[in-house]
Amino acid sequence: MNSLKKILIIGSGQAAIYAASEFRKNDKYSSITIFGNENHHPYERPPLSKEFLMDKKKKDEFLFFSKNFFDDHNVCFINKKIDSVDFKNKYLISFDNKKYFYDKLLITTGSTNRKVEIDKEIDNEIYYLRNLDEANKIKKKASEVNNIAIIGGGFIGLEIASSLNQQNKSVNVIEISNQLMGRIIPSPIANLVKAEHEKNGNKIHLDSKIKSIEKINDAFKILLENDHIIETEMIIGGIGSIPTTDLFNNSDLELKNGILTNKYNQTSVENVYAAGDVSNFYHPLYKKNIRLESYQHAQNQGINAGKNIAGIKSEYLSVPWMWSDQFDLNLQLTGLCDDYHEIIERGVDTENGIIHFFIKDDKIVGACGLGLVGKVGRDIRIASKLIEKQTIIDKKILSDLNQKLNPLLKK
Amino acid sequence: MAEENWIEVGKVDSIDMEDLIRFDHAEKTFCVYRIEDGFYATDGICTHEEVHLEDGLVMDDEIECPMHQGIFNIKTGEAISPPACDDLKTYPVKVENDLVYINIP
Repeated sequence: MNSLKKILIIGSGQAAIYAASEFRKNDKYSSITIFGNENHHPYERPPLSKEFLMDKKKKDEFLFFSKNFFDDHNVCFINKKIDSVDFKNKYLISFDNKKYFYDKLLITTGSTNRKVEIDKEIDNEIYYLRNLDEANKIKKKASEVNNIAIIGGGFIGLEIASSLNQQNKSVNVIEISNQLMGRIIPSPIANLVKAEHEKNGNKIHLDSKIKSIEKINDAFKILLENDHIIETEMIIGGIGSIPTTDLFNNSDLELKNGILTNKYNQTSVENVYAAGDVSNFYHPLYKKNIRLESYQHAQNQGINAGKNIAGIKSEYLSVPWMWSDQFDLNLQLTGLCDDYHEIIERGVDTENGIIHFFIKDDKIVGACGLGLVGKVGRDIRIASKLIEKQTIIDKKILSDLNQKLNPLLKK
Repeated sequence: MAEENWIEVGKVDSIDMEDLIRFDHAEKTFCVYRIEDGFYATDGICTHEEVHLEDGLVMDDEIECPMHQGIFNIKTGEAISPPACDDLKTYPVKVENDLVYINIP
């Protein structure tokens, strides 16, 4: 029989809560404590840029599980910032100088928004969206203004642009590259997303580097390098994120674009595990380390960590998948789309869904779909399963709308 | 014994094997499934978020939500994979004279 253990989790996001839940399924008696530094119980983040900003959902509607989860599962939640970790003697020190000893530690500190650096006075006035408090600040300020500029045309910037547009705000999106959502999204799909924003009145500025920002009274004048001027009352930054590893900078923990972990969520320090955005993990399917920032990844890797911490050896094999909702469109992306031989398209309009399959050696390695809600999910999911099984496929079926893709799973 | 209120959904052939159709009745929406073991019915909307399951993936006796990949057992309605955690309600289904019926109380 295993002896009772003390399990501590730093960070209180999706990976943490699912790890705790999974651990408890496999170990009824050891203690689990989650340390969060937000003044809230763990909540889902996807609604922050969408339903929450649009006043369609309140905080209580997107808490993880029920409010009774912590009592029902005997999981302790402590709202405290952790200041340091002593890996040798296996304890954490909180900001109020208390020690918390562990037998096994899970790190789920997530990621931190990259900040715009223009000029100190202006930088401090830029809003970001990572957590509930920041979403509240954006919501409050947005309610007081009409014109909003968003720096960065990635997923988060575009979701905010969509939500604020639906609150009747005039929105400018400034993107430094020549397409939205980075090179990972096929340009025809990125162009359809751009067209949807423009159809709804958002102004999208591609190839646009900011030259300067000037504050005039309560407003800002943004000068682009192409000499275009955008006047706005509020600026929101959405230019990506970096793994939150500051706490471990001078420790034995091996860091490289996040915390290096193996396929069992183990870090370079014994009895220390990592999961979610912060982990740069070895993926057996790709035979390399990857770092992902997505809802499904945080959930599934959290579950995998919970199993391994409970002593059940479990490889993390989940195929990457993420989604974004903007206006009436749902975008889904699965696999890795950075190494392929050809792209096969399925579908002709967003009403019924368009999917681009990335093919290498007659296998699907990635897929990106865009359509009205529900229209691409099934085929993207089929693609995920085919990627996982590395199935050789008949490529003609992929582009033939008269043939369903489900039978491919039976091969 | 629950009250019986059998409503015709359509012909057997209107639902492909390992697939489902959406069925709307009296301001409610349902999914009616055809799998190897027969015909089954559940509520149409995922319990995680307000998304219809009609475009979801049916595999064996499971339906997977097309939005966030929550998975339910078609026969029991049980939520078996997160983020879904509340079960779907299920409804009896019968086939008579090549027609599929759902019992909606």
